[in-house]
Amino acid sequence: MNPIVFTVLLSLHSIAAASRDTIPREGFQQIQFDASRFDSVTAFALRNLLDNAAGRGLPTGPLVSRALEGAARRASSDHILKVVRDHAAALAEARDALGVESRVNELDAGATAIRSGIPRAALRAIRASRPVGSVEMPLTVLTDIVQRGVPNTTAQDAVTSISRLPGSDEALQGLQITVAKNAIRGPGMAVDALNRYLRGTVQGIASPSTPATGDRKPIRPPAP
Amino acid sequence: MTPARCPLRASHRRSSPSSGEWRLCSLTWLALVAVPLASAPLIAQRRGDSPIAPSSVLGPATDSPTLSVLGLAALPDGSGNALSNRNEIWMGATQPLLKLGNVRLSAIGSGNWQARDAVGTTSSIEGLLSLRARARFGETHIWSAASYGRADLSTDAGAQISGIRNTLIPPGFGASVLADTTVSRRFDVGNLGRVEAGFLTNVSGVELSFGMSIERATRVTTQTLTINEATGSIPMASAERVQAVRTLRSTQERDIASSIASMGFNTGTTQWLISLTAPVATWVSTDALGVKPKVPPAIASLAIAHPIAAWLSVVGAASTNSSSVGSIALRDEIGDSRYHRFAPIVALGLRFTQLPFRGRPDDTPRGILSFETRTIGAVDSATVEQGAPLADGDTLRVVLLIDAPRAESVELMGDVTEWTVTQLTRAKNGRWRAELKLSPGVHRLMVRADGGSWIAPPGYPVGNDDYGAPVGMIVVRRKP
Repeated sequence: MNPIVFTVLLSLHSIAAASRDTIPREGFQQIQFDASRFDSVTAFALRNLLDNAAGRGLPTGPLVSRALEGAARRASSDHILKVVRDHAAALAEARDALGVESRVNELDAGATAIRSGIPRAALRAIRASRPVGSVEMPLTVLTDIVQRGVPNTTAQDAVTSISRLPGSDEALQGLQITVAKNAIRGPGMAVDALNRYLRGTVQGIASPSTPATGDRKPIRPPAP
Repeated sequence: MTPARCPLRASHRRSSPSSGEWRLCSLTWLALVAVPLASAPLIAQRRGDSPIAPSSVLGPATDSPTLSVLGLAALPDGSGNALSNRNEIWMGATQPLLKLGNVRLSAIGSGNWQARDAVGTTSSIEGLLSLRARARFGETHIWSAASYGRADLSTDAGAQISGIRNTLIPPGFGASVLADTTVSRRFDVGNLGRVEAGFLTNVSGVELSFGMSIERATRVTTQTLTINEATGSIPMASAERVQAVRTLRSTQERDIASSIASMGFNTGTTQWLISLTAPVATWVSTDALGVKPKVPPAIASLAIAHPIAAWLSVVGAASTNSSSVGSIALRDEIGDSRYHRFAPIVALGLRFTQLPFRGRPDDTPRGILSFETRTIGAVDSATVEQGAPLADGDTLRVVLLIDAPRAESVELMGDVTEWTVTQLTRAKNGRWRAELKLSPGVHRLMVRADGGSWIAPPGYPVGNDDYGAPVGMIVVRRKP
């Protein structure tokens, strides 16, 4: 190993160990990762990152998953470490936005949303729309429809509106399917489909089964 | 491979030094340029059908029925004359025939029609029929093909062929300038037979292909000559001249071995193909009166296809030499030195991937000449069937079903498999199936067919694009 790299990593490890000693761990089950999937330098750096995240009270499961994904997709070490580092930072942001009581899956979905460019205010709004239930599904759907070209504010308003409804996970799933089907025809079609779906689901103005385009089977959301 | 040197170093002639060489490999170059037009994905979820190199030389890798047509107008022909260009239509079709064990047989037809342009006097039409066998071993496809084709070219009155004067002036007339010879009409008929073989593999998402072909082409040229010659032995402007009409027929025969290497990959939904084709060895024999074509150079091509809608893609292609495009089977001007120089061409066009009266993705006409593309199986759709909770109470039995009817293997990986690749099994109904034990919540996974690109299951939510393609998310909910 390059002695300079080794020295830097050793320093990082010492810093991480020190921080681990000073910051108490909090209540997530921490996941060990299979170091044999990485080269020794990457494994060492990852271990430090995971220890550091655990020391900050962040769940390590999502970080391990990102690292393994990178290894499986043959990404470079630098790329894997960058993704894990970014996701750890996003997890911390998501925890601030969603609350410290949030579950691992919710934080992971929140971090994914933040890394997709969704503002923290949107996460707070979704949490406010579901103070008790899980926000994993709303955040997943929000991330997906934004990735498919729906503007951030439009997507946020739609997801937040539907999330307020009781038992709305199915409706959210229907929204995602509707947008996904129409997004392949362009962002405008996706937004049009979203608006029609929203009117049918939340406001009950138009039949939600009316498709955005004429040659698609309608997506009928569940009865509110 | 040293393309610039290959043709001349490896060639030898069977006839006299005055004989010419000519080559018939238009479909090769046409296909190279056209490759990415063939298999651009309909949507992001279908990036598994990224393009791969093979041209008609390399042979197709698709077993799907295809039919396609492409037109190209006013393409500069590389001669440097701005008024001289080519207008062409290309067509192609692939039809699977049968499967014998691990070997799939298919028939491939392709054609090219070159219309006369404003200043040109030549038109041509070509057709090629191939029988191809393909077998898959892991992520590597091995194939071979045998082809037979025919090409016809006609040249109208007025065309002059340089170098023909000397051979046509009767003995005793002295200097060739005494005679004014024009070709009033000319027909070329060519036959092409070819065998080829190669392999295609996928390395880290980049599809690499290598192949060799050996082909034999023959051409019979019939020329009607009008000779306006002086009758006297002393050339004088006022001398009486006699006009004679003669018909000449010459034959040529050429064998050529070619190699081709290509690399195909995706960036987002954009497909790229880089190809290099070079003649390895040529053997040419021709009559003394035959036209004198030469071997085209090694040519590099770049082709790009970018979908802008589910049914429409923008396509572009560039090549280092114009001989990579269209019909050149009978173009003897390929022997002109200008065609050996760097004479790049760029083509731009649109490709329609869906016919209005055919709705299902399976019916989408694919391919530009279809024979040149790879269409390894694509994941068309995915379904998650959620079962009852298992005994431990924390996990549920979930069945992932994938529709990939043309695929020979389907794999998945994700957090559900700790990001190790897992094979799906083919059910009796043709769908691919994986049974998973999952806890309630969102799970991240990707699928791929035939070792192609990893994609999110079509229609399911996608997450971040951390490593080049978004991950799919499946939601498992605890049933009330």
